[in-house]
Amino acid sequence: MTITSWLKTATAAGAFLAIAGAAQAEGVLRYATVGEPPTLDQQVVTSDLATTIAQHVFEGLYTFDSSNSPVPLLAAGETISEDGKTITIALREGVKFHNGQDMTSADVVASLKRWGEFGSRGGLLFEHVESVEATGDHEIRITLSAPFGPWKNLMAFLNGGPAIYPASIVEGAGKEPLSPENYIGTGPYSFNAWEANRYVELVRFDDYVSPEGEADGYGGERVAEFDALRFIPVPDVGTRVSGLRAGDYDYAESIPGDLFAELEGDPNVNTILNGGPLFGLVFMNSSAGPLAENYALRRAIQQAIDKVPALQIAIGPEGLWRSNGSFLPEGNVWYTEAGTEAFSQGDAEGARAAAEAAGYTGEPIKFMVSTNYPFHYDTAIVYTKQLAQAGFNIDLQVYDWATLIEKRSQPDQWDMFFTHHGFVPDPILISVMNDNYPGWWATPEKAELKAAFTASSDPAERVDIWSQIQELIYEQVPTMKTGDVYTYNIASPELDGLGEATLIWPHFWNVSK
Amino acid sequence: MLFYTIKRLLALIPTLLAATMLVFLFVHLIPGDPASILLGDTATPEEVAALTRELGLDEPLWTQYLIWLGNVLQGDLGTSVFFGTPVLTVIADGAETSILLATMTMVWIVLFGVPIGIVSAMNKGRWIDQITSGGAMLFASIPTFWLGLYLILLFAVGLGWLPSSGFPSLTDTGGVTNLRYLILPSLTLAAPNAALIIRLVRASMLDVSREDHVRTARAKGLRPSRVAIRHIFRNALISVTAAFGFTFAALVSEAVVTETVFSLPGIGRLVVQSILRRDYPVIQGVILVIVVLYMFINLLVDLAYARLDPRISLK
Repeated sequence: MTITSWLKTATAAGAFLAIAGAAQAEGVLRYATVGEPPTLDQQVVTSDLATTIAQHVFEGLYTFDSSNSPVPLLAAGETISEDGKTITIALREGVKFHNGQDMTSADVVASLKRWGEFGSRGGLLFEHVESVEATGDHEIRITLSAPFGPWKNLMAFLNGGPAIYPASIVEGAGKEPLSPENYIGTGPYSFNAWEANRYVELVRFDDYVSPEGEADGYGGERVAEFDALRFIPVPDVGTRVSGLRAGDYDYAESIPGDLFAELEGDPNVNTILNGGPLFGLVFMNSSAGPLAENYALRRAIQQAIDKVPALQIAIGPEGLWRSNGSFLPEGNVWYTEAGTEAFSQGDAEGARAAAEAAGYTGEPIKFMVSTNYPFHYDTAIVYTKQLAQAGFNIDLQVYDWATLIEKRSQPDQWDMFFTHHGFVPDPILISVMNDNYPGWWATPEKAELKAAFTASSDPAERVDIWSQIQELIYEQVPTMKTGDVYTYNIASPELDGLGEATLIWPHFWNVSK
Repeated sequence: MLFYTIKRLLALIPTLLAATMLVFLFVHLIPGDPASILLGDTATPEEVAALTRELGLDEPLWTQYLIWLGNVLQGDLGTSVFFGTPVLTVIADGAETSILLATMTMVWIVLFGVPIGIVSAMNKGRWIDQITSGGAMLFASIPTFWLGLYLILLFAVGLGWLPSSGFPSLTDTGGVTNLRYLILPSLTLAAPNAALIIRLVRASMLDVSREDHVRTARAKGLRPSRVAIRHIFRNALISVTAAFGFTFAALVSEAVVTETVFSLPGIGRLVVQSILRRDYPVIQGVILVIVVLYMFINLLVDLAYARLDPRISLK
């Protein structure tokens, strides 16, 4: 290479620098995500990231207001028969799908049927459903085999829930997620493009028909202020923060606790707490191994652990975690202290004696954890140490998440595993309530309480039964709660309409910049 | 030369077969399967089994391999389990970023690495050599994630001259100006690699400078700069060329950390993400492309030798 060709190259490089300050798109919200969602098909996926994006595209019959009560979205209202078994739901008229079709009862019936058979959370409701039928162009009737209290909460929860799709798309669809060309909903934004590793883009749906009433939580009026919403995978957290500060993103999710104090003091960044906490869960194997059916030994494990140091190490600042034993947070209608005196004892000596009394002789207890979520791993390290001090022989097995998911479906591979659970509006949705969830907790005591819990439609009675179930969880320890974790996101101060906290997933209708 | 090229291309076939077979085996040896990841937490074993059947993953491994190989020979790399789009499209999208990034990085390496290496060799032992060699060691040792984040803080957050992350395709709005997104990542990648090239150019030139023809050239009274460029550097280029070739191939396939820090949709991140998602068709497709790329660059480097050094004949 000669000197002149170097000069040419240098000139070319200089030209790159000269064009460095070009303009950026206006009217586009740029949201930095931790990764890519598995799919946007809400009926079959329970990923929070998927719902964050998809709630702008798809809508259900109901949604939640700011107090987490279900309110109509695509529904106009409902009447329930006196025996509680027949629910007639009137649909809003004039609602259009993104393909231009009117939404009718045929679409709703087809969507509910697919969700009931294949949806992630559909089985919970549909084991009580005898029939779903159209009783008019804009009216459907659901017939239940017995009254089922949580029906409306289940219908309002979009994550793994009954999103309404056109009948032409959803008829014949199975458990496998819909492909992107079939992402057609009724929401204020329509699906535009999914560029692998680059972004998922939604654009404003001009024919959107909004529900009426003042915006409240996810309910009420929805106005799409942006031309487009772009969800951009930015896996490195340092880059998400710097990118927001540099003005390349308007919103960035999942920021670690150790940056909280610094970001809160930064006038160029707004921190937004997520109102619904997530919580770590250590599941115990009820099907095989030393912990199966040995409730006393499980209680001894719980007794050995002090949850606070693990929360301090794994999460950080005080404002972002709570050492709370109730499965739903304080202030929520489902909050109860039943059984929670056993939540965080940190009593190594008592645990050692209890374990001996339960017949434990030091055999290894296989504890699986994944490094994909740092807080899982950090917490598991603290627990392993505490358990060792109480004489437990913990065999900590560290895997990537995909491996852990495969191993936990095999009862002979593990005794305990670490996972976490997102906020849910009804305890029936907590994974431990599902008999088939790995851990396979399905005792007669649980079955009896669960049956009473779902049969009742009386809110006060349901809260009372839930407190009995929580007490049973602390007695039989199918899973061990690790405490509440309040995640937070950051936003550019230029965004208007975000509010102080998000309810569950951040949404961007009624938001502008 | 033409005969040599054809012979080399034919020799690629067994290598490719061996490489793809190994990759296929290793990928399937990792526990975890795409069906249960795709269906999520609440899927029943029956549903997972049904999807596994649908994806063709319940066939014996050898059958799966032969089916895959047969499709590859027809130019079909399969469909991504995760994206649901053809693997070739997914790779092409990542390749655009990776090749542009690698090319821009090579520009910096040539621009900084070669001249500094020459100056360093010409001034062996003097202060300028001490400074450049020390600087090269420093840059070779700085972790790229650290350098990347500091460049973002300085040029994107502090000065606001350059975008912090991401890379819209050249076909997106912005067109060629989108290359500005690659300036910081390419500089980050270039730093350790340029440092290595500086060391290599310096060492090769010092080797050559001890040879007889250089002494003759000096004895003829040629200017030192002319001796350095015409008589030393040209001969030192042989080993440097090989390094350029493999640096380029490595930049395309192994820039995972830089791609993650700058959130670039490149090949390196695609492989890592696909492994975490157990997206077998994409992993296999990308590895195949990378193997072909390495072998192709290897061939180009060999051909370049003949151009640079008439004494080397290709047979």
